[in-house]
Amino acid sequence: MKDSEINTGKLLLVGIGNNGRGDDGLGWKFLDHFRELTGDQIELEYRYQLQVEDAELISHYETVVFIDASHQQLQEGFEVRQCEAGNHYYFSSHLQSPEAILYLAQVIFNKSPKAYTLAISGVNWELTTSISETAASNLHCAMIFFEHAFLPAIVPFFKAHNMGNKSKSKWIVS
Amino acid sequence: MNKKITIDPVTRVEGHGRVTIHLDEYGQVKDTFFHIVEFRGFERFIQGHPYWEAPVLVQRLCGICPVSHHLAAAKAIDQLVGIDPKDLSPAAYKLRRLLHFGQIFQSHALHFFYLASPDLLFGADAPVEKRNVVAVAMENRELATKGILMRKFGQEIIKAIAGKRIHGIVAVPGGVYKTFSKEERDYFLDGKNIESVDTMIEWSQTIVQFIKDYHEQHRKFLDEFAQFPSGHLGMVNEEGGLEMYDGKLRAIDSEGVVTLNDIATDDYEKYFSEAVAQWSYMKFPYLKEVGRENGWNRVGPLARMNICDFIPTPLADKARQEFIAFTGKKVNNSTMYSHWARLIEILHCAEVIKELLYDPDILSDDLVRTGTPRLKGIGIIEAPRGTLTHHYEIDDKGMIISCNLIVSTTHNNDAMNQAVRWVANNVISRKGTITDSMLNQVEVAIRAYDPCLSCATQALGKMPLKAELYNHNGQLIDERFRN
Repeated sequence: MKDSEINTGKLLLVGIGNNGRGDDGLGWKFLDHFRELTGDQIELEYRYQLQVEDAELISHYETVVFIDASHQQLQEGFEVRQCEAGNHYYFSSHLQSPEAILYLAQVIFNKSPKAYTLAISGVNWELTTSISETAASNLHCAMIFFEHAFLPAIVPFFKAHNMGNKSKSKWIVS
Repeated sequence: MNKKITIDPVTRVEGHGRVTIHLDEYGQVKDTFFHIVEFRGFERFIQGHPYWEAPVLVQRLCGICPVSHHLAAAKAIDQLVGIDPKDLSPAAYKLRRLLHFGQIFQSHALHFFYLASPDLLFGADAPVEKRNVVAVAMENRELATKGILMRKFGQEIIKAIAGKRIHGIVAVPGGVYKTFSKEERDYFLDGKNIESVDTMIEWSQTIVQFIKDYHEQHRKFLDEFAQFPSGHLGMVNEEGGLEMYDGKLRAIDSEGVVTLNDIATDDYEKYFSEAVAQWSYMKFPYLKEVGRENGWNRVGPLARMNICDFIPTPLADKARQEFIAFTGKKVNNSTMYSHWARLIEILHCAEVIKELLYDPDILSDDLVRTGTPRLKGIGIIEAPRGTLTHHYEIDDKGMIISCNLIVSTTHNNDAMNQAVRWVANNVISRKGTITDSMLNQVEVAIRAYDPCLSCATQALGKMPLKAELYNHNGQLIDERFRN
């Protein structure tokens, strides 16, 4: 296997969902926000669902964060958890859990990136390209936490600036 | 006591379905059904949309083979702007072919490595926790690694041409909109960032050898499991060789007698009809001249191996010669040989992809042609799972007024029902107790056809699939549901 040089950032954000299904688009909207903030400084991958070959993808990174909408109404509107490899295979070829993907990366590629899941609560899953007000509010909270607390803690070489003005914050690689 | 068995969902297939098996009071199989019960919609809701939206919209009916729908629709839409396949620019024609072969390559890799290989490696008796790709990875890391990287190669081809791996867009009426750069081409040749196309050919040969070795050890199983006579349908080129993108339709019966003699794809309506059943949303296509009962055909890799005279790439053709030698060059009606046929096609795809990558035409910027508009467009291709038909008619404002889709899996509807019946009769009937292994064998038979049930019904949303067992009084006495 080629241990590619293309992914120098070592951090990967994987947004899971479908922006044509209401709040199921939260994972992608989260990535859109970070693309706006950071340009090409963070590697982003948009996924409808995780697939087996994503094990190969994540094997190139030190840290991976899976961002997905959640049916659960989480206390803060979102929740971050550390993710461990686990043999939780789903019967369909095109719908795998982050745990299963980590497990495959370990078994096949001998790589165990540090991994987290970020779940953001949604309420509407119908056919629409917009997200609900509740989901938008949860997304906003998740972004602020992720940008200013979580990410700087897990990836020290990224620093957020202009903490007082969230919408105009900038990212630099130190 | 009469019983009815239900398997729901059928696992490791694309989409979801349900199997019911009815037993009589002696435990003998009375009837079997492979139901696809989801709502179909694309043929209807595409109506009223401008024709040029079709290749973009219809590909959304699937996340596994959107490229196939994109290209079949594009071929149809080309005709609406007066362009037949021969009128496309060489660049557009070859880039579409490259996209198509990349799609078949990755789809076949997905099916064999992720879905089917557990059946072959561990057998139908294996415990459920072993019947998945994770177990394959643990027991045969090399096979799993090849599978993942081969699928990735095909997906990267798709991404390079269509912009993204799923639901990318490149075909426009009369051509393609994006050039293919030298850098993009070299990405697949030099082996610096991903495995090269030469490695893909080498690995494809290895996988063909794998199935040949498997055949040596399990010939009885491959020969006999879900074996039944049927017609076979596919596409051939002018010389009778295997063709995937544009050619003529040929069908043969179970003995090899030609039932559809290399007809132009535009004439499909004259020869095909579609029946319906109350218990399934999936239609049943058949050849009008042969009739509903015997006029249905298998499509896909096994059918294509049967109907073509040769494969126009050397390594795959040699592999096909070995394949047909086992039946004395007679028609192969054994379901499980579909896996072997699929792997020969993987090799063929890799060879064609290499040819196209070295063809200077793909780097040209001559991308779009125009002609005299028409009101009817028909696009037929060989998708990974078989013959795929898109047919659109428009009004004088360019709005779609009718749409007919005959999806590959739909052609295999009768075949999958026959396969279920075979397993019910030969494995379940009169056994008294229903075991997990028996039910898994029903799935093994269906899975060999690599059905894409979401495509076949053009369904939206979640589609679970299950199996049920009913007694002679119509009471549900056993069911399986995996979700």
